[in-house]
Amino acid sequence: MSELFVALTPPNLLACFAGVVLGTIVGVLPGLGPAGAMALVLPVIVKLGPTAGLIMLAGIYYGSMYGGSTTSILVNVPGEAASVVTTIDGYRLARKGRAGAALAIAAIASFVAGTFSVVALQLAAPLVARTALAFGPAEYFAFALLGVVLLANLTGGSRPKSLAMVVLGIMLSTVGMDPLGGTVRFTFEVAGAQAGLSFIAVTAGLFGVAEVLATMAAPASTAPVAHVRFRELYPSREELRRSVPPMLRGTVLGFLVGLIPGPAATIASFVSYGVEKKVSKYRDELGTGAIEGVAGPEAANNAAAGGGMIPLLSLGLPFTPSTAVLLSGMLLMSVTPGPFLLRDHPQVFWGVIGSFYVGNVMLLLLNLPLVGLFARVATIPQRSLMPGVLVLCAVAAYSDNNNPFDVWVMVGAGVLGYAMRGLGYDPAPLVLGLVLGPLLERSLLQALTIARGELSGLWSSPPAAVMLVAALVVFVAPALSALARRAAPG
Amino acid sequence: MTPPSAARRDQWTAVGLGVIALGYLLAGRRYPLDTLATPGPGIFPLAAGLALLALAVWQFLTAHRRAAAPADTSAAEAAHAPLIMSVVLVLYAAGLPVVGFLLASFALVFIAARLMGLEGWWRPAALALGVAVASRVVFVTWLGVPLP
Repeated sequence: MSELFVALTPPNLLACFAGVVLGTIVGVLPGLGPAGAMALVLPVIVKLGPTAGLIMLAGIYYGSMYGGSTTSILVNVPGEAASVVTTIDGYRLARKGRAGAALAIAAIASFVAGTFSVVALQLAAPLVARTALAFGPAEYFAFALLGVVLLANLTGGSRPKSLAMVVLGIMLSTVGMDPLGGTVRFTFEVAGAQAGLSFIAVTAGLFGVAEVLATMAAPASTAPVAHVRFRELYPSREELRRSVPPMLRGTVLGFLVGLIPGPAATIASFVSYGVEKKVSKYRDELGTGAIEGVAGPEAANNAAAGGGMIPLLSLGLPFTPSTAVLLSGMLLMSVTPGPFLLRDHPQVFWGVIGSFYVGNVMLLLLNLPLVGLFARVATIPQRSLMPGVLVLCAVAAYSDNNNPFDVWVMVGAGVLGYAMRGLGYDPAPLVLGLVLGPLLERSLLQALTIARGELSGLWSSPPAAVMLVAALVVFVAPALSALARRAAPG
Repeated sequence: MTPPSAARRDQWTAVGLGVIALGYLLAGRRYPLDTLATPGPGIFPLAAGLALLALAVWQFLTAHRRAAAPADTSAAEAAHAPLIMSVVLVLYAAGLPVVGFLLASFALVFIAARLMGLEGWWRPAALALGVAVASRVVFVTWLGVPLP
């Protein structure tokens, strides 16, 4: 636990500061989301060493949740998906002249939720990691499979499309050496492909290059920004009083939703808004500029970001693109997340958790006085920013293995990602399939070998059986409920 | 009810996914399956290929029944810029090891800026020069990334 203070050393404080500032800017700018931005800075963080590097990556991740609310409130343009809900009441509050109050409540709610989720993460992650020490290949296979099925249900849109993208990602993960026997597969004699498809190149392509191509097809106009002075950033006593219950509800809800695979921060903010619509004393005002519509969702999306770290740190399983990039960063620096992370790298584990506390304080101090500056970032024309993103993508892809083949992979993934957007496919499940593929393959084959080829070995232990049954229930539930609706009279 | 164009689009992409699955299964035939007790390197790709094939069939069959977002025609109208950019990116990947990072990146940013509507020649050129030189200084000189 004393390793928590590792976060307070000057290099780590600097890395945390750089991460949260970059994250806030990424959150403010529509387009390049946290996963893409995190992939782009991987060449930099490798040079910082494991603790400082991961602190910076994590800072970008949760910093983006803070920044997203700024443009939602001032410009009616959400910086990233998790802040879409905040536009509903946040922008209306700004039009009523309460932009400063809305921004202050968003920052305070983010701080409260962020801090709560770190405390919960600090308590829960070691417990989950200890439990996971008893997990064998069958349990890991069942858990990853459950995650994949849940993900397909929660990403929105069509389930066959989401599942197809997960499987396509898994198929891409089989390019290169097979994880058990070392057989080289699907490389078609291309020497550069023997190490497999670089995850960073694929992420930079799908989220970075594809975003640039999409912006070229439909350039976004920059909206005028409401000017907010520092002295206006004081919510009234009434606004503060009304914000507390939705903030607390959003915090708990968000943290729980964060544990579930999928776009947790986005879902958490929508769930929180839905709950406020049902239970708030001021539910009739929601949609017309109610402070509850800012406090609840902003707390929820920040708490979800903390919740999503538990499966990553304690099990080594990322269930969002951002945590997948974080996993990739850890592996680049020879740090393997999972049950042994706490034993093998206590400084990294507690250092990253400690940096969450520091980062949340930094974000609160930064976001309130500098809110006007961050809002102005949103007005920088995309035609001046996006061409540079292409070069950063190429650097990130190339520097992963110093391999020109990875630049080809990035270009291919970018064009594929652009086509996928046009055809209504979400790239996030593909990225997660690519990350979870080797784990699924290794755990499935190991479980079969241990069970001497008996398929029942996959569900012979109670935890594996429970998770496989849960996966089956989640898979068939939508079809059954549709059948029940059709069979219902009337 | 799904607009006919969106339903047809989904059916065609399902066919595309089916073709990818079949190609993958065919390419995976060269890897031995062995037995379930001692699984070979071909067994997992076989399962993944069959899963994608099944999902493609599922998507094809449900495409006409499921309500989906209508096709975005405004994006299609502006599709020439991304198309040109895609070709430029392919040339960039091919040219990077030949002409080096600085020149290739200058050309990439210059063309991208022009395609995104940055007017004139001087402004895109200045942006391209700034991005290429700054990237080289940060990544090669400061961070020691061995860019070509």
